[in-house]
Amino acid sequence: MTLLELHALLPVLLLAAGAVALLLAGAWQAHYVTAMTYGVLIALGAAAIALFYEPATASTALGLFTMDSYSRFFAVLWSLLAALTLLMSFRYGQRHYFLGGEYAALILFAAAGMILLSSASSFFGLFLGLETFTLVFYILIAFHKGSPLGAEAGLKYLIMGGVATGLLAMGIALIYAATGTFHFDSASLIPVGDQALRPLLLAGWALLLGGLGFKTSLVPFHLWTPDVYEGAPSPVTALLATGSKGAVFAALVLLFAGSDLTGSPLGSLLWLLSALSMAVGTLCALRQHNLKRMLAYSSVVHMGYLLLALLPAGSNGSGAILFYLVAYSGATLGAFAVLTVFSTGESEAASYDHFRGVGYRQPLAALVLLICMLSLAGIPPTAGFMGKFSIFYAAIEGGYTGLALIGILSSLISLAYYLRPVMVMYMAGTEDGMTVTETSCSAAEKSVLILCLLVTLLLGVYPGPLFDTIALILP
Amino acid sequence: METSLPLLSLLVWLPLLGALTCLLLRPYTGAGRWTALAVTTAVFSLNLWAFLESRGLDGWLWQEDHAWIPRYGIRYTLGMDGLSLTLTLLTAFLLVIAVLISWRLDVHTHFFFSLLLLIESGIMGVFLALDLVLFYLFWEVMLIPMFFLIGVWGHENRLYAAVKFFLFTLAGSLLMLLAMITLYLVHGDQSGHYTFALASLVDTQLPPALSWWLFGAFFAAFAVKVPLFPLHTWLPDAHTEAPTAGSVILAGVLLKTGVYGLLRYGFPLFPEPARASLPVLGVLSLIAIFYAAWIAYTQSDAKRLIAYSSVAHMGFVILGIAAWNTTALEGSLLQMVNHGITTGALFALIGMIDARAHTREISELGGLWAKAPVLGAFFLFFALASLGLPGLNNFTGEILILIGTFAVHPLWASLGLVGVLFAAIYMLRLVQGVLWGQSHSTQDWGDISWRETLILAPLALLVLWLGLYPHPFLEPLREPVQRLLLESSLRGLGGLP
Repeated sequence: MTLLELHALLPVLLLAAGAVALLLAGAWQAHYVTAMTYGVLIALGAAAIALFYEPATASTALGLFTMDSYSRFFAVLWSLLAALTLLMSFRYGQRHYFLGGEYAALILFAAAGMILLSSASSFFGLFLGLETFTLVFYILIAFHKGSPLGAEAGLKYLIMGGVATGLLAMGIALIYAATGTFHFDSASLIPVGDQALRPLLLAGWALLLGGLGFKTSLVPFHLWTPDVYEGAPSPVTALLATGSKGAVFAALVLLFAGSDLTGSPLGSLLWLLSALSMAVGTLCALRQHNLKRMLAYSSVVHMGYLLLALLPAGSNGSGAILFYLVAYSGATLGAFAVLTVFSTGESEAASYDHFRGVGYRQPLAALVLLICMLSLAGIPPTAGFMGKFSIFYAAIEGGYTGLALIGILSSLISLAYYLRPVMVMYMAGTEDGMTVTETSCSAAEKSVLILCLLVTLLLGVYPGPLFDTIALILP
Repeated sequence: METSLPLLSLLVWLPLLGALTCLLLRPYTGAGRWTALAVTTAVFSLNLWAFLESRGLDGWLWQEDHAWIPRYGIRYTLGMDGLSLTLTLLTAFLLVIAVLISWRLDVHTHFFFSLLLLIESGIMGVFLALDLVLFYLFWEVMLIPMFFLIGVWGHENRLYAAVKFFLFTLAGSLLMLLAMITLYLVHGDQSGHYTFALASLVDTQLPPALSWWLFGAFFAAFAVKVPLFPLHTWLPDAHTEAPTAGSVILAGVLLKTGVYGLLRYGFPLFPEPARASLPVLGVLSLIAIFYAAWIAYTQSDAKRLIAYSSVAHMGFVILGIAAWNTTALEGSLLQMVNHGITTGALFALIGMIDARAHTREISELGGLWAKAPVLGAFFLFFALASLGLPGLNNFTGEILILIGTFAVHPLWASLGLVGVLFAAIYMLRLVQGVLWGQSHSTQDWGDISWRETLILAPLALLVLWLGLYPHPFLEPLREPVQRLLLESSLRGLGGLP
């Protein structure tokens, strides 16, 4: 490994080294707040390095990862997400007795894994990056030892994740057997046209998509999602819903960069996965009475949208995915931040009843949840609208009007479930509701809420600069 | 017109600024309503100034154009011609009225007034935007505050009505979004110039089948808003449940955005299918006139009756558009203003009566004439205006529509005339039930206050003005109407001058 490669990997190295340091320090002197503060600083430092420090060339580390402006974009994004997750966990962790530095260290490890996955240039790198943060999430999801829901969620994610890993490894092996390469950039990877009937390759792709489908909870691999979302601590769910899924899509964009899937068997497979995710996710989300479960199914739908933008070849689809990931991450993180604010020592605030009349008692948190819901529903002037606009644009341009229509229909129905929490917050009577002990937001939580609000609104009315940046960094 | 004043941006963003101020002034009781009054009055004054400045001018009176999202060729383009001017003036005026109506509101006051201002911002944007994406943005933005107005301050069934309103209007507009993107791509393929500017997109050569699909999608979005039969079912619910100010804005302005969209976007972008759909429009409008009149007659709730009368009145507006000639179109546009004023006034009156009697059931009202003579007189005046009494405003609009329609479709015009009779029947039933007969409550009501006079008097003056001398309001409409007709005839589609 040359010095140049080390320079390129600096954000990841900082996160990993920082996490190890926090773990070690925690062994000597367990002090939660100090560890968390350092965790935030390390994550912000990694984001700053990725943002401002530009290595001389786009360099390859061991052939597994390529650190270029594309992966640096995601390094910034995932580091910031980790920092925000830690910020919103300060009070939550104290209430749940997350002692010492291990929580902060795990979040940093997860961010490092996500950055690795977003910069994968070979299947080996993809596998490595994916497993790095999946392992962390096995622990994080069950972090709250006392909660039976948490234990169940952890076990579920562990078993499902294990299966997914198996599928992924088998798929990669088959693709390697069929093509003789691990590297993304060889054209023979994608079965197109006449080559379509190469059974080994196609089977490999099917297994690979199955494995990635588990991680991103695409229908029919989504069954773990609601339970895990519900059982995991809210800040962990926030990172799971945004970063872990987004990183997989970042890798998928790299994987499919420049390849035209139209007409290929792989394209049909993705078409089906996208349509199913949008349809099934929407219908299931409609039936939920728990905000966390609703957000789980809504994430299934959003993964369907992202897949919809993956289908058409060309930079418009990839650009749409990147923009959508930012918009979706902002809104989802904001929603879970609100959930974290309202969680008490004993219970997670998740049932709609917890939110009765909150709009007038906690104006800021309620406003953030409202704007996040509107963004997820794709209503202007929020980032979600611009994201959806660019996705539908790419889909129609690529000739996938039918799929776009399904998307339109599902986003119409989605309004019914996104508006429900809003209505409970602002319109339901406050008298007959359950009362939760609400304390006002802490300063750290407030900063996360305000940041999510600003990002969501700003990208909704002035998305130009982000679109331009994305156009510059696309592979 | 060249001015250094960013007039159009002010019209759009001043209310938004006011909405934020309202929220920030939350700790100070009463600050919300004064802010709202100040901002709406300022916007109205600006609009009035524009109206007076524009006398004798034609074409685009004001325009603003800035880059917004260059990657997709989306620009921040605002423009005001006579049509926009008339409708923004109506909006600004009714918003002042809406603030005054809600003066006594005491539940979440600041939230309420900031929503009123937000909706003003959205509607102004809809009437001024000349870029399709910008238009879509404002089109959706005006939904959210209305959803809250109905959902938070509405009556018993408010949640149902709010969601129904949102879903109906969004269903239409999402299809429109797909059509916009398709149109944009086709235009870009043809000209190599990817833009969402209305002025460029009108030149797109569309294959006939595609142009039908796209027009259908646009039409769906606008027809829901009008609302055209059979897409009108959200309207009575929304109206009945909405607070008075919400009803005034809904009837007065929000419904007009549908017709405006049809004329500004639907017809110029897709002239052929639009032209071919005129007979459909005519038939649907006649159905709306009769069907809504009949349903209005059977209502027991006074507010619901007015709501259905809105459907009938908008039917007349659409009838004028279906006739597609100068007289009828000018009548339609004038009738939009008329309807906004009359129905706004009637909703305000029902609100005042409701505040005193605590019921809107016609059977439980009665005796208003004896109890509150001035209020009763106003009620009678606006009811007569609504049924189209000559000399009052609705007559001028309806007569122009009927004359224009008679020139091309005598049968439609004759049927429409019968529709006016129907309007008289349900309106007189309302007047009969509310004004005369035995009063059901023994309480002393008290006649109208100075605040209520301040609301009703300008509306009444406008009713008289538009009824007797509509010329100043018809004048700015002349050029836009001529342009619409000219454009459609230039494309070889005929059109009576």
